[in-house]
Parts: sequence; C-alpha cells; structure tokens
Amino acid sequence: MPKKYHINSKVTPLNLDYVFKFNIERGENCINCGKCTKVCIYEAHKRRKDDPRKMADPNTVVCRNCFRCIQECPRGALEKSLDKDFLNIGGSYWKSDIFITLWKQAEDGKVPVTGAGYRGPFTGSGFDGMWTDMSEIVRPTRDGIHGREYINTSVELGRKLNHLTFDEKGKLLSKVHDTVDIPIPIIFDLPPDNLSPNVKAALVKAAVELNTCIVLPAGDIASDRKKYIKNIIPLISHKEIDKHQGLIKNTRIVAIEYADELLSNFPAAKDKIKKISNALTIIRIPATKSVETIVSKLTQNGAEIIHIVADYRGREVNGSTDYNRRLLKDIIRAVHLKLIDDRIRDEVTIIASGGIAMAEHVPKAMICGADLTAVDLPLLIALGARLYEEPEKLLIIPEGLEKIPVRTLTQRIINLMGAWHSQLLEVMGAMGIREARRLRGESGRAIFFEEIDNDTFGKLFKKRETVNV
Amino acid sequence: MKPPSAVKIKKMPSRFKHQVAKYKVTRSNTCINCGTCAKSCPYGVHERVEGHNRVRPPINYKCIGFECQNNDFYCVAKCPRKALSLSLNPMYETLGDYRWTADMITATWIMAETGYPPERKDLEYNIGNSGGGFDKLRFKFPPGRPKIDKLEISTEITLNRRNDGRANIVISTPVYGGGMSFGSVSLPTMLSKARNATIWNTFTCTGEGGYPEMLQPYDHNVITQVATGLFGVREETIQRVRIVEFKYAQGAKPGLGGHLLGEKNTESVARMREAVQGTSLFSPFPFHSVYSIEDHKKHIDWIKEINPQALVSVKVSTPNDVDMVAVGSYYAGAHIIHIDGGYGGTGAAPDIAKKNIAMPIEYAIIKVHNFLKEEGAREAMTLIASGGIRTAHDLAKAICLGADGAVIGTAELVSLECVRCGNCESGRGCARGIASTDSELSALFGEEWATQRLVNMYHAWNVQLVEILQKFGMRSVRELVGRTDLLEHIDYSAPR
Repeated sequence: MPKKYHINSKVTPLNLDYVFKFNIERGENCINCGKCTKVCIYEAHKRRKDDPRKMADPNTVVCRNCFRCIQECPRGALEKSLDKDFLNIGGSYWKSDIFITLWKQAEDGKVPVTGAGYRGPFTGSGFDGMWTDMSEIVRPTRDGIHGREYINTSVELGRKLNHLTFDEKGKLLSKVHDTVDIPIPIIFDLPPDNLSPNVKAALVKAAVELNTCIVLPAGDIASDRKKYIKNIIPLISHKEIDKHQGLIKNTRIVAIEYADELLSNFPAAKDKIKKISNALTIIRIPATKSVETIVSKLTQNGAEIIHIVADYRGREVNGSTDYNRRLLKDIIRAVHLKLIDDRIRDEVTIIASGGIAMAEHVPKAMICGADLTAVDLPLLIALGARLYEEPEKLLIIPEGLEKIPVRTLTQRIINLMGAWHSQLLEVMGAMGIREARRLRGESGRAIFFEEIDNDTFGKLFKKRETVNV
Repeated sequence: MKPPSAVKIKKMPSRFKHQVAKYKVTRSNTCINCGTCAKSCPYGVHERVEGHNRVRPPINYKCIGFECQNNDFYCVAKCPRKALSLSLNPMYETLGDYRWTADMITATWIMAETGYPPERKDLEYNIGNSGGGFDKLRFKFPPGRPKIDKLEISTEITLNRRNDGRANIVISTPVYGGGMSFGSVSLPTMLSKARNATIWNTFTCTGEGGYPEMLQPYDHNVITQVATGLFGVREETIQRVRIVEFKYAQGAKPGLGGHLLGEKNTESVARMREAVQGTSLFSPFPFHSVYSIEDHKKHIDWIKEINPQALVSVKVSTPNDVDMVAVGSYYAGAHIIHIDGGYGGTGAAPDIAKKNIAMPIEYAIIKVHNFLKEEGAREAMTLIASGGIRTAHDLAKAICLGADGAVIGTAELVSLECVRCGNCESGRGCARGIASTDSELSALFGEEWATQRLVNMYHAWNVQLVEILQKFGMRSVRELVGRTDLLEHIDYSAPR
C-alpha cells in the first residue's frame, strides 16, 4: 500500500475586500434599543465604539440569514436584501455561490458542510445533469475521510500496454512504458500571464507541495523556478523542441500545442523529445467539434497524453453558436467512447480542463472518461479573484494581492486542493471505490438525468417534445 | 376524513414580532398623516395610534399584496395624496431557495398558524422552483366525478401488510415524522414531534443517539432507530416501541455515515449513547456487520426475537440498485421499506453529497414500486418515501408514483419557523432554537406552542390530501397508490 497522501491545511484568512451575500440596512426609525445585539448570535449587530448610545452599521459579512434581527426589531427598522455586487459576480456558469464556497475552502481547507437539504435546481446542464451512485450494503467498508481504509486518489500519466507479450521461455518481451504518478487527479493549468510574481511563485510552490504539476509557458519559467522543474510542465510549440532542450532535459513532462501537422508528424516530434530525455509528452488540444477524431488519430500515432481544453465555462471552442456547443461532460464522454470503439483507450491518458469550478467536477469528469483534470480559475479565486462572464469574460485580481506573502497565497491554494481532495474521498467512499483510477469511465456508477428521466417519466408519458415542434 | 379526536385546531401565531414580508408598502413624505389608510386597511398594515400626530410605518407582513388592487379599501388608491406605493419586498428574495421557495415557507407558516391551507391567492405553495421531479408533475383531475362527502374519505394506511401475526398498525394520515436525534434538535422540538404523533395517531422517530426518558409517555407513537453506530440501542428500548427502524443511510449524505463532534458529546448525550463524554463519535458506513442480505436478515430476526410484536422498517438511500435493496429487505422480513431521496434534509452534511450523491426520490419511488410488483412482493410491503417531500401535493404525487406514505422532516421544522438558513450545526447551533441544545437558544419556544403548530400543519396537509382524493372521486388514499395515470409531466405530453 502506498504511503497515505495527506494535504496539510491551515486556516489562512486573506484580509481583502470580499463580496458578501446579504445586505442589512438600518432604517431611520431605529431607536437604538439594542435588541438586535441581543438576538444576533453571529454578532452582526454591535453598538458604535465611539458612541455606544448609537448602533454601528451592521457587519453583514457574518450574517447567516437567520432573520432574527429582522423579526425581533421592535420598530421593524431593519431590512435585508441580496447584495447587488454579490449578484453581479460570475454569471450563468460561474454562479455567485461558487465564489463564496471556494473562498471559504481556500481559507479553512475543509469540506463545506451545512445543515438542511439541497437547495438548488433539480438538474442542470453539463455536470449538473448527473448524480454519482452509492452502494448500500454489499461492498467494502470504509469510514470516509476519517477512515481506517485508504482511498487512493493517485493517477498515472502515460501510455499503458493493452497486454503483455512473453517469449517461449516466459520472459517478458513487452517494453513497459514510462509513466508519471501524481497523488491527486488534478494538475494546475496555464495561469494568465499578467499575474504578479508572488502569485506565480505561489502557484508553483503549491504544485510542488501537493506533488502535482503546473503547466507554464516555456518562455516564462524564470531561472529561480528551475529547481522546481520536476513539477513544471513547460508548454512549447512543436517547432521549438530544439530551442528548449535545456528544460526538456530536466523535466518529467512536456506539453506541446496542437497543430494540424502533428497529425502526421507527431512520432517525429516525440522521438526528438525522447532523444533529449525520458520526458512524457502532452498534446494540448482545444475542445473543438471534431476533437474526438483528432484525439483518436493522435493516439494511433503514438500520443501518450492528450489534454483537452474547453473554454472557461466548459464549452466546446470555435463552435458557431452557443446552442450547438457541447459541454465538457459530453465532450469527454464522446472522446472516451471513441477511444473505446477504436480499442485504444488505455494507450492514452486524457486530461480534461475548462470549467472545472467545483470539487464535484473532478470525479464527474473522471466518471465521464477523463483520467484526470486540470484546474485554472479556482486557483486564482482561492486568492480572492473574481470573475465576471458578462458582457465578456473579466477576471479581477484583488487590489493589494501583490503585497501578500507567497507563503499565505501558497497555503490558500493548498487549502483549496485539500478541501477538494477530501470531497473526492467522500464521493469515492460513497461509491465504494478505493482507487481513483477506477473512476475513469465508470458511467455505470453515475445516474444521468436524460437517461433516468426518460427511463422513468418517458416510459409513463409520451416522449419529450422538442422545443421546435 | 374525520381527524383523530385528539386533534384540536387552534390558532397559534408566530413567536416573533414581525413576520417575513412578501410586499413592501412605502409611504413617501407627501403623506399628510390624515389616517385614511389606517381607517380603511382591514389587515392592520397601517396604524395610527390615538393621540399620535403621525401614522406609524407600514407593517409590511400584514399586507396581502397586489391582489388588493381590486378592493375598494386598497390603500394605494385611497390615499388622497398618492403617498403610498406597493412593491415586492427585496427581503423576500433572501428567504427560501429553488426547492423550498419563499412562498412555500410562508404558506407552511400559515398552515402551522391556522391549521388550514392559506386563503391568500398570491402564494404558489404546492410546487417549488426546482424545475424537475415533483415540481414538473401535475394532477389530472377528471371532470364530473361524483362528490364524495369529505368525512367519508379515509386517509388511513396500514403499516403491516405481511399478515405475519404481528401488530396491525394503522396510522390516521399517511405521513410520519423523520428521525432527528437527541442532540441534533432541541428538547421542545423533539417532544412536540412526539406529542403531535400521538395526537395524530401516527409516528415520530428518535433518530440515532438513544431514547430519551422524556419520550417514554409517547412510546406508542415512537419509532426507535438502530443505526450503524448502534448508539443507545438496548433490548429495553427495542421492547418499548411498536416499530424499529434500521437506518442504513440518509438521503442527504448517502454512504457517508455520521460524526458527532467531541464538544457536542455532552454528559447527557454521552449517557444516552453509552459513550465517553467529550470523545468524537462516529456512525460508520455501512453496518460493519452487514455484508449481504443474509446478514441483514440476521439483524431483522434479532429485533423480531427481542420484540415479538414490533414491525421492522428499513431506511435506505437511493442508489441505482435501490430496487434490489428493497426486494432484499422484503426477503429479509422487513415490514416497511423506507427510501430516503438524495435531496432530503439533514442537520449537517457535506454540500457535495447533498447535491450529487444518489438519485432524487421521484425516480426511486417508481423504481422500487415497480420492482416489488414484478417480484410479487409489493402487496406485502409498505413503501415509505422521504427526502424532498415538502408539501401535501408532493405527498400525493409520491403516492401516485407508488409510495404508500411519506416521512417528513423539514416541513415539520419549517412549521416551527425554520427559515432553512442551514446553520443547524455551526457554533451554538440553530439561531431560531429549533435545532440547538444551547441552553438559551433551546428555550426560545415551548412545547405547547410547537405541538399546536405541528398539529395544525398536519391538519392542513390532511385537508389538502382529502381535497385531492375528493377530486379524483376516491374514498381512500389506498386507491391513489401507483396511479401514475393520474399525473402528467409538463416536459412530456399525454400518456401513451
């Protein structure tokens, strides 16, 4: 059994201006009686320090929406509403609530736990349209994240053999390919290039401490980062292999940008890399309409690892209109099934990224057929960043972030990944799966909305009518 | 339906000075304090105290909203200076969510206050806003059914359908209260649940964590739970009750077990659970002694041996193979199969589990009902659904899909003025005193108030259920079981 993987979380607040969900306003008819200070158990209401005869402005950051001050104010002087800044943040994919929960996880590194049942929509598009299965009785025992039994979340990157061949004397003939093991099915994806040095350093350090990898543009790997090269995946153009020999020599994995000519000359590019070192090669490819065909061709041409990149909302790229763009869930399923049809699924490792926004997206992407995922935006949201989808994608890095020590930023990223790792264990534990590798393509252990709704209500009622009819 | 004689409806208003208002009445500074509004509004939104110069600020929650426009006493129209305006209250958006909408919570409060469904027409309280499952199902009421006298319509169901010589338990309304353990809810909450169960001739459940002595007067209407940690399970508690429930999993956190933090394991909790005070207590998952249906049967036999009259209920969550589990429980000798859907309530569960693990109850009911039928076991089992049954309409829909009855938890707590803020477990617990053992918070309301609120809410649900049965021309809720032909789904057209 491998050594138990543990992520050391540590409470790490970041005293920047957060958006909060609720807004409480004190009306002019307040008589400063102080009833609210007595009924609020979260201390949102206090008297003014400089003038205790008067009430201070409500501290809405701590408000948990219990309504007691509202309902018990003798004058009905308090009003509560959803904060406008809160509502504006994110968009249709990156919902406002995602930010609150990611910030919290980055602060305490814990699995978000609340009371009362689920509050959201019954189902949704993409990953929201599936549930993971659990097993009631007949299966191995486990005790969750506090468990005695070890749930292994590590995954292998690289080619696997379809079968082994032996000679007449029983000696192994097959050459077993090199692989790289990482302890969580998550790598860090390419950060935007306008980040301050401390943020960039924190991303690399967190990847090192978690023992995973980060994809960085080859040109942007400062010389003082070279000591972390084992955890860095330099991204290069296939034409620049010679230029980056120095990097390739020391790293474990190299990523090259997809270009159409790779369909034919990938073996040559790979050979060139193999001559420099044993590094594995990732082909980074946008999730276009024909991505599954390209992935299959590349695999047949010897690709070891393919990284499929959807847009930041997990949608197909270069699609014509929003309606026809597939979502990451369906893109991964299509790629996975195509590779199975072509009987080459195990010959390639699939990394999925784009729109991985919450912990649940990691096991769900794997169930759909990815070997692992790559995250980008949540790592920055962990540092207090905000994202706006409308009118166009806008990432706001909090003011003053460049002055925060690298250690603080690193710890917050580690905390977030710690919380995600624990949540992955929860999902796997409920499924009774002890190896993250076994999650890949286990679509029989998921419940897909379209399928179950048709199987249940479709059988009872007539077939679903399409919108156009 | 004539409710059990102990059921007495009595108005039981909110325990707070103000209620959460749907509307907002604004008085501008053109008001001349003439008092016309105070004289005309029959609901008491406007008040002008004798001897005061000024009219008081409007009491928003008393306002009935835009439907008032048609009344000749509509304050906005009556005001001679046009100083009044009516709008939706921004505060209302902070109440409720997709599943439990603000209207649904408000209506449940009204039911708990009055004992009847709201008379107001502006609340959409029978369906939520989740966009799936119950919220997309509608009843297809046939025209021109002979009107059966409501008093002749029965809502009773039998819980023992095995004909095995054990007690033939009949409950008066096809709903009972879900398990909430000692420690997870306050004493008044737990006791009022039990008292209501006795008054309504139905049941409540102890949850895991022992059988508090205060519940003994209500033994006849208490289900005791045997969960994976076996906390507080003694021969004597098994012998005391008429139904024993095996809890395999909970819909909100299927496959995850429970964890009582050390600081919550106080002296009294530890005594009840027969554990060491201050240590963290884990309810593991699953039963470490159950790896097969045969093991499961062994446990059921053990209960049956200790209490020769007791019925055995098996509570499971809703995985893909829930139908197999249900049939297994039939073969193991259970009387009740209780399936708890993924969107069910909890005192604390990981958000990732609540949203993502296991299927919603709507699918599971049909799955289990049909599979039990195919296996020839449906007639011998009582199928109880829970986890997302929010309203009387959800209850009736669940029965149409194939359940015999339902277990509710959140609806009971909302009756006690839960706002579903979700902070049941953090710090001192529930700020509203429902799910807290904090000495100050758990004294926020008394047992009498809470019991009457529950009795009222159960009554309102029963009134709605009887109305539905009457519209279908049915004399008993038993006739409704499995009648999917009486439903339609708004995503699909007419039945095949």
